[in-house]
Amino acid sequence: MRRRSFLKAAGAGGVSALLAGCTGTGGEQTTTEASGDTAETTTTTTEGTTTGGESPTLTVGTYGSFVDAPSSSPGPWLKETFESEFDATLEWQTPDSGVNYYIERALRGVESGADLYVGLDAQMLVRIDQNLDEALFSPAEGLSRLGDVNEQLNFDPQGRAVPYDTGYISLVYNETYGDGDFVAPETFDGLLESEYAGALLAQNPTSSATGQAFLLHTIDAKGEDGYLDYWASLKENDVRVLGNWEDSYNAYSNGEAPMVVSYSTDQVFAAEAGEDMAKHQIRFLNDEGYANPEGMAHFADASNPDLAAEFMDFMLRPEVQAEIAVRNVQFPATTTAELPEDFAQYAQEPPEAVTFSYDRLQNNLSDWTDAWAREFARK
Amino acid sequence: MSRVSVRRVVRVLEQRLLTLVAALTAVVLLVLFYYPVATVFADAVLVDGRPTVEPIAAILTSEFYLVDIIWFTAKQAFYSTLASLALGLPAAWLFSRFEFRGRETLRSLTILPFVMPSIMVAIGFVATFGRNGTLNRALSAVGLPPVELLFTLEAIIVAHAFYNAPLVARVVTAAWESVDARTVETARSLGANPRRAFRDVVLPQLLPSIGVGATLTFIFTFASFPIVLALGGFQLATIEVFVYSRVRDLAYAEAASLAVIETVISITLTAVYLRYEASQRSAGGAANPLPRRSVVPSDWTPKSALRTAGIAGYALIVGLVFVVPIASMVLASVTGGDGGFTLANYAFLAERQATGASFQVKPLPAILNSLAFAAGTLVVAVPMGVVMAVLTTRRYRGRGLIDVLAMAPFAVSGIVVGLGLLRGLVFGVDVLGTRIRVTGALAIVAAHAVGAYPFVTRNVAPLFARLDGRLVESARSLGATRTRALVDIELPLVWTGVVAGAAFAVAISIGEFDSTIILAEGAGSYTMPIAVERFLGRRLGPATAMGCLLLLVTSASFLVVDRFGGRWGEL
Amino acid sequence: MRLELDAVSKRYGSATALDSVSLSVDDGEFFTLVGPSGCGKTTTLRCIAGFESPTEGTVRFDGESMAGVAPESRGVGVVFQNYALFPHLSVGENVAYGLRFTDPPGGGTRDERIAELLDLVDLAGFEDRDPDSLSGGQQQRVALARALAPGPNLLLLDEPMSALDARLRDRLRRQVKRIQSELGVTTVYVTHDQSEALAVSDRVAVLNRGRVEQVGRPRELYHRPRTRFVAEFLGENNVLDAVVESRPETGGIRVGVGDAVFTLAEGRRVLGQGGSASGDRAESDGRDGGRPARPAPGDELTFCVRPEQLRVGAETNRVRGTVVDTEFQGATTRVRLDWGETELVVAVEDGGEESAAGFEVGTTLDIGFAPASAHIVE
Repeated sequence: MRRRSFLKAAGAGGVSALLAGCTGTGGEQTTTEASGDTAETTTTTTEGTTTGGESPTLTVGTYGSFVDAPSSSPGPWLKETFESEFDATLEWQTPDSGVNYYIERALRGVESGADLYVGLDAQMLVRIDQNLDEALFSPAEGLSRLGDVNEQLNFDPQGRAVPYDTGYISLVYNETYGDGDFVAPETFDGLLESEYAGALLAQNPTSSATGQAFLLHTIDAKGEDGYLDYWASLKENDVRVLGNWEDSYNAYSNGEAPMVVSYSTDQVFAAEAGEDMAKHQIRFLNDEGYANPEGMAHFADASNPDLAAEFMDFMLRPEVQAEIAVRNVQFPATTTAELPEDFAQYAQEPPEAVTFSYDRLQNNLSDWTDAWAREFARK
Repeated sequence: MSRVSVRRVVRVLEQRLLTLVAALTAVVLLVLFYYPVATVFADAVLVDGRPTVEPIAAILTSEFYLVDIIWFTAKQAFYSTLASLALGLPAAWLFSRFEFRGRETLRSLTILPFVMPSIMVAIGFVATFGRNGTLNRALSAVGLPPVELLFTLEAIIVAHAFYNAPLVARVVTAAWESVDARTVETARSLGANPRRAFRDVVLPQLLPSIGVGATLTFIFTFASFPIVLALGGFQLATIEVFVYSRVRDLAYAEAASLAVIETVISITLTAVYLRYEASQRSAGGAANPLPRRSVVPSDWTPKSALRTAGIAGYALIVGLVFVVPIASMVLASVTGGDGGFTLANYAFLAERQATGASFQVKPLPAILNSLAFAAGTLVVAVPMGVVMAVLTTRRYRGRGLIDVLAMAPFAVSGIVVGLGLLRGLVFGVDVLGTRIRVTGALAIVAAHAVGAYPFVTRNVAPLFARLDGRLVESARSLGATRTRALVDIELPLVWTGVVAGAAFAVAISIGEFDSTIILAEGAGSYTMPIAVERFLGRRLGPATAMGCLLLLVTSASFLVVDRFGGRWGEL
Repeated sequence: MRLELDAVSKRYGSATALDSVSLSVDDGEFFTLVGPSGCGKTTTLRCIAGFESPTEGTVRFDGESMAGVAPESRGVGVVFQNYALFPHLSVGENVAYGLRFTDPPGGGTRDERIAELLDLVDLAGFEDRDPDSLSGGQQQRVALARALAPGPNLLLLDEPMSALDARLRDRLRRQVKRIQSELGVTTVYVTHDQSEALAVSDRVAVLNRGRVEQVGRPRELYHRPRTRFVAEFLGENNVLDAVVESRPETGGIRVGVGDAVFTLAEGRRVLGQGGSASGDRAESDGRDGGRPARPAPGDELTFCVRPEQLRVGAETNRVRGTVVDTEFQGATTRVRLDWGETELVVAVEDGGEESAAGFEVGTTLDIGFAPASAHIVE
């Protein structure tokens, strides 16, 4: 079985090393594999054998913390459960640049090398469609549980990405800050008050998911024409936009500022770590939270499209949805999931969820972010 | 084979060895650097396969990019360089002219900042210079008003000094220790007072190394990125921040153009420095180092008291900038969510090691990989660097260009190199219908060596240049091949430089992130910095614990490199 | 070993360091390259040692071309001006260095060879000393012992004495000469010091601006310099530019220098014991062409007269001059005379404590020289 999956991977585009060895001169390890027609042949052959009885390998691309977070991540449980039920091997791929890795492969004319990607959002789809002429993902068809997905979370009009969980970006604030009676403002306008000068930590929208969601939320709240002025005022009020969520959360934890842009599930972690809840209060500005549903889609050149579809259906099962939600500390994407009590107690949902549709983001996302960056980085 | 013919074969090999290593260096550079980088830079000058200047012109005509980004980047790099010199030169003075307990160890540990992942530095700095940090608590304890250092340009500059002052200190210390005491004695005998002798005799011998330190610091801080955003914020964005943003947005033409401009500036500076270094070369004697004195003076004069006070003040600053941030990180690794002491973070590492899935990052393999890659880098980068130094000190047509090309790995954005490695090596190149891919452990070692060997070259070349060429010629006329002359005569005489370069090579390898994560296929080849990044979560504990392991392992390896290296040099 | 340089040229970019130098050094010969700094003598030596490769021409050892032969394979011992001892090795290790690559000549052990050589240079027992602790002369002798240890076919000495003081230099020079003739090793010695060149060499080549001016035995070069440069460079000389006035029946040439008229013997250059093999070769490389045609009236020529050939109160070729300067040099006194045209230097043999009388500055003196003691140069 080992040897079979090995051949398979090589045929599918080569994660494993086939003819690995040293060249006499450079000392670097080079892997040689057939391309073009030969590769096609190999793929066909291995697929032929696949149906012959031995279990196939499902290669799933995702982001690192989905399979390997220090707290908890759904990856190991998913692999174990899926493999125990299906006669297949699940292999996680976690390229550093996430979905960009697969876009980059497609741009360079290289096969995707995976069957499925887990962790897409609307912004990524826009980026994919803007940069690739040919389809990277295929529409999800024939899933028995597609109907269970919360209608509002569907973010791909072309039906490629199927949501499997969702999160809300909100403010997390520290009541004990200063004199011990800090209260976060209730509206976006409130953030501009002088009492909140230097009080908010946000993230770079060009490199961080929370930062991007928060920027989009301000665009939704202040309009396409008003958000830059709003950010100019935020900058005036000493908002801190740091590189990534880790930087800003570290600063928040050290008491540099009383508010940080983060997830509305923050208290789940706080409860788990036994932290003071007063330091982990949630604020939905304008009573809204920006929803960022995460989706999965199978690659157009997946070598196991049927198995990929089975995996997607598996991901939408009520018990799997609950596990993903708890382990990824997000909300389920289906209406059928049953969450444990304590999770519901600490994971807060906004009175109203806000999100930009794919159509709205298309042709706008880059421009919005660009304009923001040029405004905010003006010295 | 008879003894004589073995001898002959060895001799023929020896005679060609330098050429061979130089050729190999060229191949490694081409495969792991020039080709990958070219695949990215091409986007700046080619649109649909046709050459164009449009993307670069667009940036050079943008006031935003020119003034708000490029000029600002240069400005912060300049200030960072000054700060690094201010913080690093006194250390070089202490390390080379004074004797105190733990001097060798301390000197070995100066390399530590080099390997610290930026998130660790950010954690340490927030804990030290933040609103509730050590500095402000100390200030309020003595009744002084707090300072707001975080999220300012100053914070970035101090952090850059944290990274680069040790670099300055190390290269200048090496040069200072190789100043021949006789040159000073000669100057003194000719009537120069100590200050004058320093200015006229010692300083000129130190300037090339100060130049190296300053140039490298400028180039590194010019391309700084994560630390800028972690401690400054996006309003202080540098070129590299935008390179990264544009790459993430797949706006390659713009990203590549920014990177090209960034590289041109850095390369120009490198070329200017190399010209200067070449003009500074003078024949010098072999090491007969200046005497050291005790930090605590044997007799107290106003002058010696002033000096001791200065040293104490400097020690205080070093404590604040280096020791407290690192100590804060160690503290963070043993602090629980409730603020109490805990070993939970280390327990997490142990548990992950014991029960982690095959696709997850485990601490022990990360440590072993890091050490193996570091050892590999040492073995590859030191010969590469030494041979390049030999070439650099030779005269030939087009040497200036070769020098600059050899130094280019310093000058090109890590993001660009990473993207290039992805395109050129991970995805592979079609050669006659066969796809050649270069990944895995050997590729990582080669990539680390590419980043590390210029350090060896820059540490060794100035010392080489000071050697009398007649030494090698004498050896050769006595029957030594060029390689033997290098090994028997030159290397022992420039050994301090070789060890200094080797330490950098190890540090570069252990600290490297951008290329490693791209070439590390699957979970098999991840290193300590990658583990630190993987263990980052909402709670910093696990990552800081891994960071502490990284510091521990690195410290131990540096003590070994320096001690072993030093001892070997004495043999 | 026999060394030949065949039309060796060395150019660095547009600068020419050596311009078609041809030389031949016989087995066991002590051959010196002398010339002012920048004349190409060191470049010649470096081409022989293999540190530089000639741009054109060939270096041959015993008839075998050295093109492409690495320095370490040439079997050449080199001693540099600054000794270039390996500072991290002891004296003994320095001497032994060449024995790492070859067995000691003569079949003894390495230690025996080291002791033998240190003994040869009068440094017996210095094996464990640090080179830095030795005096300049001692260091130079270590360098010599080191170069000789592997038994080289050819010894190259590049200004080995110039960093030493005069007395030490004399002594060391004799020692080098003695060792050289004892060992019979072919030696090429480079110096800018003409007296050193004349003192120790079997033959000397005078180099100027990358060219060989003249090759010959020391006496030959001294007495019959072929060119003005050689005449002026080797020893002190009075070189005068003249115009041929007539060629009297009685032989010789009458020439005018300003108002004065001198009679010179003709053809000395052509006659005599000169024209040694190497001298002929140097001339036959074409640059010097044939001998000049017999000078005719109106031709310009240059001749020289050594200071010791000018005599006070001589019968022939008399001129009157005023003493401008005297220098007591022991065996002789150098008297500098102004006779209107140029200054002449006369060497007057010392005749005791009072003999300098009459040579005070300002006194008038008649001097002259025998026609045969003048020598016409190119």
